[in-house]
Amino acid sequence: MVVVPARVETRDAVSDDAETPIAFRAKLNNVRPLVNMLRAVGFRPRALCTISSSGLVFTVDEAQAMVAQAYLRTTLFSFFNYNSAAAAAALSAFQDGLDNDGQEEEEEEEEVTMQVSLPLDKLIECLTLFYGPGSGGTAPSTHGIAASTLQGPAYDLRGATTAEIGYRGPGTDFELLLEESGIISTCRLATFDPEPAVDLEFSRYPVVQQLIIKSEWLRDAFNELDPTSDAVSISISATEPYFRIATIGDNGSTEMTYARDERILDSYFCNEEMENRYKLQLILRCRSALAMSDKSKIRVNQRGFLCFQFMVPTDTDVSFVSFVFAPLVHANDI
Amino acid sequence: MRFRSLLTSSTLLLRIVQSIDKLSKSAILKLTPEKLHIIVITDVDSGLQLWSDVSISAISTEYRIESAHNNEIYLEFSIDNLQRALKSAHGALQTTLKLTKKQHLPVLSLIIQNQSTTGREITLTQDVPVRVLTPLQMESIREPMVPDGQVHVMMPPLNSMRSVAERMKTMGDRVAVSANKNGELRIRVANDMVDITTHFKGLENLSYDTTQQEPLSAEREPAAFYTAVVDMKNFLRFLQSYHVVPKNIVCCIIENHALVFYVYIGSSGYGAGSGSGLLADNCGSLTYFVPVRQV
Repeated sequence: MVVVPARVETRDAVSDDAETPIAFRAKLNNVRPLVNMLRAVGFRPRALCTISSSGLVFTVDEAQAMVAQAYLRTTLFSFFNYNSAAAAAALSAFQDGLDNDGQEEEEEEEEVTMQVSLPLDKLIECLTLFYGPGSGGTAPSTHGIAASTLQGPAYDLRGATTAEIGYRGPGTDFELLLEESGIISTCRLATFDPEPAVDLEFSRYPVVQQLIIKSEWLRDAFNELDPTSDAVSISISATEPYFRIATIGDNGSTEMTYARDERILDSYFCNEEMENRYKLQLILRCRSALAMSDKSKIRVNQRGFLCFQFMVPTDTDVSFVSFVFAPLVHANDI
Repeated sequence: MRFRSLLTSSTLLLRIVQSIDKLSKSAILKLTPEKLHIIVITDVDSGLQLWSDVSISAISTEYRIESAHNNEIYLEFSIDNLQRALKSAHGALQTTLKLTKKQHLPVLSLIIQNQSTTGREITLTQDVPVRVLTPLQMESIREPMVPDGQVHVMMPPLNSMRSVAERMKTMGDRVAVSANKNGELRIRVANDMVDITTHFKGLENLSYDTTQQEPLSAEREPAAFYTAVVDMKNFLRFLQSYHVVPKNIVCCIIENHALVFYVYIGSSGYGAGSGSGLLADNCGSLTYFVPVRQV
């Protein structure tokens, strides 16, 4: 997309074409909750966006050992329309263009979901266009959606940016129309063919350990972790200490343990004693999501894979951000 | 070579110098029998240039200038130094500007007369070292000649444009600035990942009566945009330069040539009037030239 001075823009807004209805269109009265959710998983430049009639899911993975997902249900939006038929048509038109073999798709009874790979960092930069002077859009923010959990400098958002989002299908741009105080910004983001998502198959194996902890306690634990340590060990046990997080680094070792107190740990069960180690740098990626949430659910499956699920309150609803981590394999485990 | 001026108020000069503070380290003070100009040239070919003028009658009562070169004097000075000196003169009873020598070096002296709390008069002198330009150097300082612009529009509040432009700068190093005769202005930045256009509407257009207007057949309809593509860096430099009142600034688009911004300063040193009343209370003006980016 090179800037060409003489080009005449005929279509500024995201709109339906009379012949081809747009596959996906949504509106937001305030971009803030969306921005916060995207920032929670915004540590990679690209994300996979899955669009269905249930909402949007943004998936980001790193090092084949971590997958993060932000779930944006339709209730987060003031308007949400996913036209499955239009999506299916766009997808098959794109396929026909590629395959050129005239194969006809059988009519699908089930809904077709759309997947598209987007420049997540640019999406966040566009959504925060009216945020005013401050840090860049991609830095994971410690802002809570509920004002009481705000930490760090508060960005002064005068008024709210409203947004309209649209997408027509593969081979087209992801479109945004933002407005604040009478100023309108139209953004087009390049899209890419979705690459197969890394699937750590957490649900495939039985969950052997689970607990729900108030996020503020988990935040304290994360703050204590020694960043010079390569790994963090997480162990859940049926006996004391019930829940333990520890690091060993250049500066020594740190350890946080939790009693089995209802005020702290909730919904606790442990069918198998296990201590697992995970790469600390990856675990720390969830700090943003943790900062926004009020409760965190921790689950470990039989293979030692760890899943954090963060409950993030918004004005209308509760949203979720999840992280799955593969355990580090010890040299002497083999 | 002589220069001496009794200023009625140093405020206007202070406002201009404050406006250019972030543009450059040094600037040129051009003194003529009728006007006083402050000029900043960041890069002769591709950079932003700032040309300002103040009519002598607006700021001084006694004015004397003599030189071997048309009674014009060009002085190069550090913006920081002059700004500090003018700040000391703010609110003074009387300030005299004088070109003189201290320890064999040329300085622009500000002789500031104030009254202390006890009623006694205090005189404070601030010296700003200057370099006097030679006739040859003077010849090379020329205001850019630009063709007439196709469209003139009042800028929206600079604060909002500045913060949006600062956010857009990460998307590209050039920005297309366009305006039409329907009060719309837009800025666009694009790279291979993202293309953003920000639109400002409801702005006032100005029409300058020039004898060299485009023949009617070549004129575009009101809604059509005229565009100048400039370096984002230069555009931001203009937006970030301190303006006392960030409104009443005229944007002129000279397609394929330059963006020119006119800031009018009234007698108080603040923005002058609005819209058509701009030129009436005009004591001085700042003109920013932002050249179109050479491909």
